[in-house]
Amino acid sequence: MADDKDVLRDVWFGRIPACFTLSPEETTEREAEPYYLLLPRVSYLTLVTDKVKKHFLRVMKAEDVEEMWFEYEGTPLKWHYPIGVLFDLHASNTALPWNVSVHFKNFPEHDLLHCPSNSVIEAHFMSCIKEADALKHKSQVINDMQKKDHKQLWMGLQNDKFDQFWAMNRKLMEYPINEGGFRYIPFRIYQTMSDRPFIQKLFRPVSPEGHALTLGDLLKELFPAAICVEDEPKRFQVMIHGIEPLLETPIQWLSEHLSHPDNFLHISIIPAPSD
Amino acid sequence: MSDNAESPTETQKDDPSIQHAAIEHTGASDEKKKIDVLLKAVGDAPIMKTKKWSVERGRTVQSLAQFISRFLKLEPSEQLFIYVNQSFAPSPDQEVGVLFECFGSDGKLVLHYCKSQAWG
Repeated sequence: MADDKDVLRDVWFGRIPACFTLSPEETTEREAEPYYLLLPRVSYLTLVTDKVKKHFLRVMKAEDVEEMWFEYEGTPLKWHYPIGVLFDLHASNTALPWNVSVHFKNFPEHDLLHCPSNSVIEAHFMSCIKEADALKHKSQVINDMQKKDHKQLWMGLQNDKFDQFWAMNRKLMEYPINEGGFRYIPFRIYQTMSDRPFIQKLFRPVSPEGHALTLGDLLKELFPAAICVEDEPKRFQVMIHGIEPLLETPIQWLSEHLSHPDNFLHISIIPAPSD
Repeated sequence: MSDNAESPTETQKDDPSIQHAAIEHTGASDEKKKIDVLLKAVGDAPIMKTKKWSVERGRTVQSLAQFISRFLKLEPSEQLFIYVNQSFAPSPDQEVGVLFECFGSDGKLVLHYCKSQAWG
């Protein structure tokens, strides 16, 4: 029987096989071969693609190279979303490897944030953790940590060190004994066809009567269309880390075990495959 | 990403999505298209003469920051940092409506702004 801790490892070490191809719009001195890479689901594109950049720079002139950015089937990929979320949202029901296009010019200012250095990724990552703790613990736990503890969270992610990361992160997953869980659950619900980037609202993991609320309860309140009615075909898949958890799963458990390193539970709602 | 395209020459008058907040009004916040934002200066940041603003929910943090910079007539080189709860800096593409839902209190979202990093 799998231990809950095994789930933490499975989430951390989740990988997506990707094939990076230079966009035909780019100018090259000679033909560019595609570059294959296993991407960590829990990391960020700009943090793990230095080798991709080096590979393509070899066939390009320096003057044709600006900030690297990625696109999938015409959609610019937001580097500040975790890689696994981008994949689940845009490509989960397509054949592997994930075919990503690489660009070095015409940066889409309206769709993407710039990422001039790793410190920008670190700042974004730490802000997400702080926002999550504001929801979970009124920021008490993150504020009680020292700067070196915060650094350890980032270094753990950057260097793919599960133990280093979780030595600190476990504190962010604790809650007072008399409570049933966190104050509010940090979560975001993404959809491809939507006028808003994501849904994020206050949601308590325990009902006023003291019952543990589930993923189904969360969806009922915030995305009822994802709950399929009897006799009707399923319209949506509710995906977290590439799987569809049972709707009966307690949301507190999901928050503790299936959150990303940024401490958010990222939920992708995609159209169910029509076959 | 954002619904409205931003023009650099847009002034406060031309910007209907950010207006002086009216007197406190009642009504379910879900139905209101705008939310009340209270801007507080930190450190050596200039204090806004008008602190309370009515902002469309879909407005991003980045566009609000640009608005504040223009209002305060900051130099293009001067950065502006925005904080929620005096604890975290939201992503520039974050919608103020979402921040209000999660971190608003007493019917408004309090945002602190400064010219240098305050809360890391």
